[in-house]
Amino acid sequence: MQRITRQSLIGFASIVVAAILMFAIIPTWVSSPSNVRNIVLSPLFWPYILSGLTVVIGLGLVVTGFFTTDPDEPEPPAIPGGYKRLAILAAIMALTMFCLPRLGMVWTSMLLFAATAFLIRTSHPKTAIICAIAVPLLLYAFFAHVASVAIPQGNFVRLP
Amino acid sequence: MSFLDSLAAGLSLVGTFEAFASLFVGVLIGTIAGAIPGMSATMAVALTLPFTFAMEAVPAILLLLGVYKGGIFGGCIPAILIKTPGTPASSATVLDGYPMAEKGQAGKALGMALWASCTADLISNLSLILFAGWLASFALNFGPPEFFTLILFSLTIIAGVSGNSLLKGALSAMLGLLLATVGLDLVYGTNRLTFGDPNLMGGLNFIAVLIGLFAIPEVMSMVWDPKPHEGKARGLGRDSVTFGEYKQSFRTIVRGSFIGVFLGSIPGIGSAPAAFLSYSEARRKSPNKANFGKGELEGVAASESGNNGVAGATLIPLLALGVPGDVITAIIIGAFMIHGLQPGPMMFVLNTDLIYGLFIGLIVSSVFLFFIGSLAIRIFRYVADIPRGVLFPGVLVLCIYGVFAVNNNIFDVGVMFVMGWVGYVMLRNGIPAAPFLIAFILGPLLENNFRQAMLMSGNSPEILFRGPITWFFWFLTLLTVAAIIRAGVRATRSLRRKLPEV
Repeated sequence: MQRITRQSLIGFASIVVAAILMFAIIPTWVSSPSNVRNIVLSPLFWPYILSGLTVVIGLGLVVTGFFTTDPDEPEPPAIPGGYKRLAILAAIMALTMFCLPRLGMVWTSMLLFAATAFLIRTSHPKTAIICAIAVPLLLYAFFAHVASVAIPQGNFVRLP
Repeated sequence: MSFLDSLAAGLSLVGTFEAFASLFVGVLIGTIAGAIPGMSATMAVALTLPFTFAMEAVPAILLLLGVYKGGIFGGCIPAILIKTPGTPASSATVLDGYPMAEKGQAGKALGMALWASCTADLISNLSLILFAGWLASFALNFGPPEFFTLILFSLTIIAGVSGNSLLKGALSAMLGLLLATVGLDLVYGTNRLTFGDPNLMGGLNFIAVLIGLFAIPEVMSMVWDPKPHEGKARGLGRDSVTFGEYKQSFRTIVRGSFIGVFLGSIPGIGSAPAAFLSYSEARRKSPNKANFGKGELEGVAASESGNNGVAGATLIPLLALGVPGDVITAIIIGAFMIHGLQPGPMMFVLNTDLIYGLFIGLIVSSVFLFFIGSLAIRIFRYVADIPRGVLFPGVLVLCIYGVFAVNNNIFDVGVMFVMGWVGYVMLRNGIPAAPFLIAFILGPLLENNFRQAMLMSGNSPEILFRGPITWFFWFLTLLTVAAIIRAGVRATRSLRRKLPEV
């Protein structure tokens, strides 16, 4: 039953998202010139059609979710501390975005590597530390000196 | 340009050290990546893509094709040695490959996997060369209404067959199409869903969306459930495959190759279903069917020929029609676009040398695959033991560098992270990501062809039914939807019958 509810929930969620798009986001954030005579050629047409079809699919998911006995995808087993680790990963990603322009890509990547390795409880901490230093440096060497990409260097320590 | 002129032009383009080296390195990288459980061929191609930005078009595309082919083969190494398929395409290889390894015949199983893969790869490449040009010349007659119906059909079939549920696949495709509307309108140049952010005016970066959808969720899955590497690599044993055994399985290999070619040329099906279909056909026709699943050499040959048969054939719709057949070809279409090339029928007119260059490169890739594969069997089995606690943080860092390198823009890294969460939610809820990505790529083409058709007809929808080609694709679309719904209803009914017995 729980699995069927999940399919219905996906359906409900897609209907809600499509409704928000149709009634709030598209009217505000899709601009169309006033002289467009035919709705089919308007910049608004395609987003409205797609949102409408999403509502139809959402309804289909809700209905099939209620009426089918198909067990659907197996429910992933609960993993102790799983949500906590995901929340920490989200925080690491947010910090990465904050640090990239300030610390530079190399130093941020080193910290990101080490933090993620310990988050997933690496059984090889020494190897992880060595790789956390070596991998970003090697990637920097390739992208900056071979591919000529201007890797952000940050405000503090600059690499050649 | 005659056939010989085209061949010579292609040879001059591909006959360089750089092109052959790219192909060789590509097959090598692919084989290593395929041999690492958790690193799929898709992820390997996606992560290699940023390294091709500084390269010329032909070596760049050959590098990615090499990774693709190597990745599909490499997946059989851990499948046979540690019962963990390196890529989903090798799942069927586990069925007979691992029991053979348990019996001390891992070397024989790996040898047959290599021979079957190379034979299937060659057949697949030859099919591509034969059919792509023919299909492209046919597609040259297509106008916007024909392309619109073709893309609609492709999206329907991709959404229908990529997951267990048509509705979830359709939802995924619809989200991809919606995401593709972000940016400036191509006719009027007005803002669409840019939220006033100039970073969104050019639309979302394809590489950021791709890597976010396919690489980051794997890292998140590892964070959700951090399990150390499981399984221990077995020895190869004394046995190796003989020419007689190859000859005995030759019919199975050829049959599997053609199954792979057929399924690969249909957008959306991919290599894993081809491997399973080839395997079940081999079992049905084999006199040793009772031995299948217990360590039958023919079973390994069938599954490996099935999945490698797909590798060249998925390029048929890509090169001839500009429609990616699966996620990997969707990434390769990105490489074409980065180098200012648009795959499709016009490419056979404007870039004949490039097409022939790729064909020659693909034939050479089968030879490289054989040599690298022979070495890989002996050496790369240790690659399967790379600790995941080091591998996945490395993948995350590689993703950041790769995504940043496309536009030198940190905003794209943020897009990748957001798409990673979207991909993870989709993964947890059984919503396939492949229709999302392919719809994201085909979305602008679908919309533009629709608008052009409407402009041509003065807004009359009748143009979408203007000739036999459009009718043919409408018919195929309806047939696909009907077939998928029928299969879904049948599966539900059979499940209902089984449930009271449980």
